[in-house]
Amino acid sequence: MSQTQTVQESASPGAWEPKVVAFLCNWCSYAGADLAGVSRIQYPPNVRIIRVPCSGRINPAFLLRALQNGADAVLVSGCHPGDCHYISGNLAARRKFALLKDLLQYAGIESERVQFTWVSASEGGRFAAIVEKVVEQVRKLGPNRKLVKSL
Amino acid sequence: MIASHQIETRLREAAEGLLRDKKVGLFLGYEKASLPFRTAPLFLTEAEKAKRLVWSPFCTANLAVYLPRLFKAPADAREAKTMPPPPAVGVVLKGCDARSVITLIQERQVPREKLVLVGVACPGMVDARKAERALGDQEALGAGEDAQGNVRAVVEDGTEVTLRREQVLADVCLECRSPTPSIHDILLGAPAEARETDAARRRTADLGSETADRRWARLQQALSKCIRCNACRQACPMCYCKDCLLDQTRPRWVGAGTDISDVTMYHLVRAFHMAGRCTECGACARACPMGIDARLLVRKLNLEVEDLFGYRPGAALDGVPLLSAFAMDDPQEFLTEP
Repeated sequence: MSQTQTVQESASPGAWEPKVVAFLCNWCSYAGADLAGVSRIQYPPNVRIIRVPCSGRINPAFLLRALQNGADAVLVSGCHPGDCHYISGNLAARRKFALLKDLLQYAGIESERVQFTWVSASEGGRFAAIVEKVVEQVRKLGPNRKLVKSL
Repeated sequence: MIASHQIETRLREAAEGLLRDKKVGLFLGYEKASLPFRTAPLFLTEAEKAKRLVWSPFCTANLAVYLPRLFKAPADAREAKTMPPPPAVGVVLKGCDARSVITLIQERQVPREKLVLVGVACPGMVDARKAERALGDQEALGAGEDAQGNVRAVVEDGTEVTLRREQVLADVCLECRSPTPSIHDILLGAPAEARETDAARRRTADLGSETADRRWARLQQALSKCIRCNACRQACPMCYCKDCLLDQTRPRWVGAGTDISDVTMYHLVRAFHMAGRCTECGACARACPMGIDARLLVRKLNLEVEDLFGYRPGAALDGVPLLSAFAMDDPQEFLTEP
């Protein structure tokens, strides 16, 4: 919550800022994000990182719940194919995500709101570049109003 | 085309023989229902009662839905000791039902050796709702079929109305590409070759060409009728999980009410659980009391499964379920690159 407030305060008061929930695998992408931080690479602060053991651990319901709870986009990142700590978790995930993205797109959720990528532990720069790209795309789209549950 | 009553006679003989010779302890088929255009599932255990079995263009139900629960694993060691072993089961299958059985065998929900599959080359089944709509405000009292496979209905004033076959066939049957069971121990009727039809593709194309906002609006409109009765889930032969994600409360993944956001979540989750598994029997759409096209999302997902991976659920017994496998060269054009 405090993080959310910081982001909002840093922009002009009341202005909408994209909120991106990123699911990063522990072994590659989370370390890649860490490297980006350690290397002092600047990237947009709009991303909220959730660490998961493996991209194969990610249940599509996680992503749908994030969107329903007000995330403007979700980003999933795992190890490059062949580099998975658990040998094949990311390969099993790749099939799932290909279909999930198609399904959501068909349902009418813009494809920029559900993004998947690979970032290795040494790719701090790549992680920053991807976050920048995703946040830029979501900023253009505007806030997510589909699927969001409003009480 | 072999007339339904000929198939019916042979079906009764087959069931009677299987039960009499104790090849099966239970035979699943269809019997006459109290309403026209419909049949009811029949659970037969006695050979003498085999003449209750019927075969008509109204045998829509997918009987594969009963199989996983018949072969349910014992809950614990004590139950394993006391529970009698499940009987061998004979079951009547159409093309779509056979695909469901293949998928259930692949997912190890039913043992192949305990099944006697009586396949029927399916000419296509009648959508009861379409037939009722076609009759307008006249209520049907009885229904049957003529030699050409058209549906004949007797309406209230005693007159007979003929409904053209193409007019009343279920959507899934119009989209069906393999109406003859690819797996069977006994096959009744004249087997038809797998046929190509792009009916499903045409149906998904009109929604696919819209903008994202329009697609979303159309989906919301279609789903706004949903009362969250879970009938589509219950009717689905592929939905056999003991603990369904939709019923879990810690955490509650999908809210319980009919808030449109929760309803959409329900349908997205249900559709995605069908990815690479839906055998296109149309049980979900038939079960919906609100008349929602419950296959709206799954229909498209199945096309994606075919386009991306060249996989057709339930097409062949030797194969690994799509999402249980992977390949190094799976498509990954959908990935975000910096």
